[in-house]
Amino acid sequence: MRFLGNRWRSSLLFRVISTTFILSILLIGVTGSALYFQIDNGIYKEKTNGSVVEAQSLIQFSQEQLYSTEYIAKIKVKDVIANIVRSTDQTLTSSPRDVVLVGTPIKNMKNDLYNSSSGGIPVNGIPTSLRKQVRHSKNIEWARDFIRFSDGNKSDAIIVGGLIDIPNQPSYELYYIFLLTEQETILSLVLSLFWFTGVFLILLIGLLSWYVVRQTVNPVRAAAQIAEMLTAGDLDRRMTVHGKDEMARLAISFNEMAVSMQQQISRLENLSRLQQRFVSDVSHELRTPLTTIRMASQVIFDEKEKLDASAARSAELLMSQIARFELLLTDLLEVSRFDASASILEGSPVDIKALVSRTIDQLQPEDVNQVKSDFPSNDVVAEVDPRRIERIMRNLIANAIDHSRDKPIVITIKDSQNEVAIGVRDFGIGFNESEAKRLFDRFWRADPSRSRIRGGTGLGLSISLDDAKLHQGTLLAWGSPNNGAHFVLTVPKFPGIPIQSDLIPADPNLAASTSFLNFNEDDI
Amino acid sequence: MTLIMVVDDDQDLAEMLGIVLTGSGYEVDLVSSGDQVMTLFDNHQPDLILLDVMLPGMDGVEVCKAVRAKSMVPIVMLTAKGDTQDVVLGLEAGADDYMVKPFNPNELIARLKVRLRRTGLNTGATQLNIGDVVIDQVAHTIIKNSKTIPLTRLEFDLLLALAREPGRVFTREALLDEVWGYQNATDTRLVNVHVQRLRAKIEADVNNPLIIQTVRGVGYKAGA
Repeated sequence: MRFLGNRWRSSLLFRVISTTFILSILLIGVTGSALYFQIDNGIYKEKTNGSVVEAQSLIQFSQEQLYSTEYIAKIKVKDVIANIVRSTDQTLTSSPRDVVLVGTPIKNMKNDLYNSSSGGIPVNGIPTSLRKQVRHSKNIEWARDFIRFSDGNKSDAIIVGGLIDIPNQPSYELYYIFLLTEQETILSLVLSLFWFTGVFLILLIGLLSWYVVRQTVNPVRAAAQIAEMLTAGDLDRRMTVHGKDEMARLAISFNEMAVSMQQQISRLENLSRLQQRFVSDVSHELRTPLTTIRMASQVIFDEKEKLDASAARSAELLMSQIARFELLLTDLLEVSRFDASASILEGSPVDIKALVSRTIDQLQPEDVNQVKSDFPSNDVVAEVDPRRIERIMRNLIANAIDHSRDKPIVITIKDSQNEVAIGVRDFGIGFNESEAKRLFDRFWRADPSRSRIRGGTGLGLSISLDDAKLHQGTLLAWGSPNNGAHFVLTVPKFPGIPIQSDLIPADPNLAASTSFLNFNEDDI
Repeated sequence: MTLIMVVDDDQDLAEMLGIVLTGSGYEVDLVSSGDQVMTLFDNHQPDLILLDVMLPGMDGVEVCKAVRAKSMVPIVMLTAKGDTQDVVLGLEAGADDYMVKPFNPNELIARLKVRLRRTGLNTGATQLNIGDVVIDQVAHTIIKNSKTIPLTRLEFDLLLALAREPGRVFTREALLDEVWGYQNATDTRLVNVHVQRLRAKIEADVNNPLIIQTVRGVGYKAGA
């Protein structure tokens, strides 16, 4: 049933053919039955009329015969009755019939002297309802009913009966039974003819509709199949074009669409390749002279004691600006690599606690203890790209230190079976809602007056977000003016598993019971 | 005096490298194309090669392979791209270390010093065993199945570091510190590629290493 339901929904061919089948069965069934009943009625009506007329004259004739025994001595009642009660085959004047003569029951008296019948029909085989009718009527009565033979068989028949007088006897009933065998044979022949024609027609219609629908559905199916292949990336697939009809036009326009799609895709691929080439070329072309400049400035810088004050200061500025330029170049190249989708994740098992600790040590002077860590006691190992995760952490922690107003910073690590989350919380200047929207925008700075303390490029958070996405992870931010900010990085421990839970909620108010909030109340 | 061969097609960079290296007390041999390296290599016998990856003609990776085919001299690659592809290709071709342009000249000098130093840490014993491999600390050779296996100085140092403390699990970062002299470095590719190279030389079955074993999620250790 379910299979049929699925086929119904998924196959146009199946739907059309089954609809055609059902409709033609209904149509042929209804017309066939109507015709059959017409024929049936006609045949029986004619037979009934003939039978009644025939029986009437027979009963009348029999009565006359019986009366004649009274004045013609040599005719015996017994013989007359024997003559009356005799089956007849069809002759020119009469149809095959059987006869039953039965005495009308009278109270306290036996009335069965002349009871007799022909053709194996028992004397009491006449339906009671008809006998009652005959007894109470002076005319001929008839009924169509089943007659039961002595051997137990039944047969449809027209039974015509009337009262008859036998001299010196109580009332008798005479019944003529016209079996409908012939009519039944005709009708069963008609019925089987109808069945045969009906089934044949239905099959023919089904076959025709299958053929016709297939002609239209096949190209559609082919189109669907090829569209699926195109979607799967097999861009060279095309439909075959037959003739010049609508289907051919479908195939032609489908193919044109595929060609234009392929061109678009290859154009985009080319663009992307060009972009990557460009990035790579710019990288090489800029980096080589920058290396020379950097080394030259280092040589000058190392000799700055020998220079006069302004030249020495210039050497210092040169050094710091070259460093800034270098950072900017690195970040820009990284961004364009992301834009060209040319970034590759180099995953390897990484000890996250060690990585974060190391990053903290790099950013925080040894004698300062501003950054506190809240790490789990268990080992936290994740298969990630250590370079990228470290870059994210460096960005987040450096940002936190810059915006902390020297208040403590708390770094939390939590992990589950498949995920690891790192939260960086500061209690400094924070940010408002409108700033939050632009937080990850390139070159956007929260507070122009405070910018460039660390010489950040303004690309840090944007790159961090891309790095997180490359890991199929998330980077969420929460901030409130003067209450600080909270950035949470969540990455899967194994590549390809999407993030499902919220190990560290970005909004610290949602994590009121976690240790670092208690920690923050003590410390601030 | 220590001779460093600088292979770079950019004349200005090469000259600048020359100034910096000479200033640090090295003798410098400037080569501007990969094709010249092999001829000059035989004549000059440099103590270290500083090799740019992008070169006209024979590129850096090919030069690296050609040099390795006949010598275990330390090779440091200079690359404009920090992309894995370039770095890994260079390392697999036999480079010991790489510097991404633009680099800090002081850092360059520091790296070269590490690559040029003779491993001085002597544990007293002249011979160490790691698996069926015998390390001769005096002769600086590796013997396996009574055959000497040629190792680069860096590969030797890596194997020695692991062999000195059998059973200790070294994180990649610890190895970077001890063998390459990097502090706070996360470039684990360097360690991974060198371990692969070393395994290819000393392991019977590279896919089932017994001498240098991987401790998943942590690092490496020397096998029994």
